[in-house]
Amino acid sequence: MLEDPKLDHGAIKAPVEPALYEPALDTGGTPALPLGRSDGLDRHTRRDLRKEEIEIARQFHGGRMWPYAVAAFGCFALWVSFFPLAIMGYLNLPLACLISCVIATGGYVTSHEAMHSNIARKGEKLRWLNEAVGAVSTIPIVFPFSMARIMHLEHHYHCNDPLKDPDYTDEAPNWWMAIYKTWYNRQPGVDGSIHHYKRILLEMGTPEAKRALKETMLLQLFFMAVLFTMSWNGYAIEAALLWWLPRHVGLSYIRFYLSWAPHHPREGKTGRYENTNLFKSKLGHVMSMGMQYHIIHHMYPGIPNHRTKHAYYAMRHILEARGVDVSPLPAVKGN
Amino acid sequence: MENVFKQLFYWMPFLFGIGFIAPLIAQTMNLWHWQAPFGLSNIGFGLIIGGAWGLQTVIRGRWV
Repeated sequence: MLEDPKLDHGAIKAPVEPALYEPALDTGGTPALPLGRSDGLDRHTRRDLRKEEIEIARQFHGGRMWPYAVAAFGCFALWVSFFPLAIMGYLNLPLACLISCVIATGGYVTSHEAMHSNIARKGEKLRWLNEAVGAVSTIPIVFPFSMARIMHLEHHYHCNDPLKDPDYTDEAPNWWMAIYKTWYNRQPGVDGSIHHYKRILLEMGTPEAKRALKETMLLQLFFMAVLFTMSWNGYAIEAALLWWLPRHVGLSYIRFYLSWAPHHPREGKTGRYENTNLFKSKLGHVMSMGMQYHIIHHMYPGIPNHRTKHAYYAMRHILEARGVDVSPLPAVKGN
Repeated sequence: MENVFKQLFYWMPFLFGIGFIAPLIAQTMNLWHWQAPFGLSNIGFGLIIGGAWGLQTVIRGRWV
């Protein structure tokens, strides 16, 4: 404690209370208000960079979205056709299982575009198509579109907030723990994954949330009814390989690549340029479903998945200036 | 009605055990020409394993 040498210590009887602010003690430590990580830029530079960023992003919005619709309906029809074909014995089950895993996983990508209304916005002529693509895409993973959309938008609004981000439960210290957690969070007594979503929707209590809860319940009951009916009629192996196993594989793959990998580590990283990582996937661009460039999606959700890679290379210098670690995905010659 | 659904989902692991795991065990055993122990039928064996597994999941909240 700092003391005045002129004071007579013996004369002081009352206990000395620390001052609210002692300038001499101010060593410039942690500020009382969190100011966020500084990128070392003045506000004029930040404004100019933001303007340039928006200008570049504008070039990558929109584009041809019909392939998403074709993929969603085509894959769904193919997957549904597997059931009667399997029952009639016209199907190579291991191959059909593998294709079903791909459909279950990839369905999230088409549904994801619909969640952000990238196929058609409210009031547009093709809005019904947007909703239909979303609805069919996630049936194989037994995850209704209404719930998926609400939860995913909440994830965007509160990215990496431990209390408000519905996907925060996917956080794990390393990749193998992350894979384990994708399975662990689906256990009936664990507050993770869809159980966590259900609790959040219940707390939200809005008409949309109630509808999402109802649709989740109905889809889960339908899933169980199909499994039980097929199984007790002699087609348990077919049910397991066409729906039960692909669903689990798909959910784990999605949780790992769309939630853990691009957002790890989540703790304290809530800012626009820090809530999503750039990473180099060992499985490549397509197998990681474009998630290497997920930061672009979080900055501009209106840019379709297949254009985020090009948008990244166009605005890489801006990201670098804003303090993003761009080293995992170096600039390509010509960009 | 809400309570009925709550109960249904609470007991779902047990129902899953007898509705899906039991016939899956029996049909897999049939496919590989395995015989259930203690003179049990394959579906009887599947029901014991699936039912017990589902029940412990209801109690513990974990499949394993």
